[in-house]
Amino acid sequence: MFEIEYGDNGEVVCRGRLDAAQCEKAQGFMDGLVGASTLDFADLEYISSAGLGILLKTQKRLVGSSSGLRIINVNNHIRDVFRYSGFHTIFDIEAKE
Amino acid sequence: MRRDFPRSLDSLSPLYEFAEEILETNEISPGVRFPVHLAMEELFVNMVKYNPDVPTDITVEVTVTFSGEASNDAASSKEVTVTLVDDGGVEFDVTAKRHVNIDAPLEERTPGGLGIHLIQNLADRLEYTYKDGRGEVIFTKGSGNEDV
Repeated sequence: MFEIEYGDNGEVVCRGRLDAAQCEKAQGFMDGLVGASTLDFADLEYISSAGLGILLKTQKRLVGSSSGLRIINVNNHIRDVFRYSGFHTIFDIEAKE
Repeated sequence: MRRDFPRSLDSLSPLYEFAEEILETNEISPGVRFPVHLAMEELFVNMVKYNPDVPTDITVEVTVTFSGEASNDAASSKEVTVTLVDDGGVEFDVTAKRHVNIDAPLEERTPGGLGIHLIQNLADRLEYTYKDGRGEVIFTKGSGNEDV
């Protein structure tokens, strides 16, 4: 299960498991983002390379218009996937407390 | 345990549930579960993507082996092995090194190859064989090597 929606403070809340089967849903939402955006991963349990591809595509588009993604509340597992992928150098990432 | 899954992304959810039940029953730590699920998805999706027209299902087997004084001793180490068999597909050696520049600036990044790159970095052992149209991948991850 994967859910993506706007939170109370305008952040994008992602929940569940972002696997290859959920990419269309995630990409559809991400394509609608305009300007600097915050993704809240507090309840995102899992992400695979398919999900990383969506983040990369969205970041490229937003940085092209002088904004970008900030990703907060990233769990240890996803943070390490970011590290292995080198995403920690191209995204503003905050770990889960 | 072994099960056949239809060659479709719709299989990812039942595939996750199949493996999770085995991992939970054997009290596998989250630090092993995450890379096992990740490897299983990446390998399965690879087979779907590169062999979409093959009529056979993809066979997945998940086993847990124990070492230590008592097999169910919490202190004993546990090793999870995931085997995927793709009968009828083209050869695709997942153990072959591919250049993925994880230090490249954003404008030069592409998502291609990241899945295999992750698997190769997360596996304790990764084996691939291909014979007579039958490809088999074995991914192994053990407790004590939880890096995610």
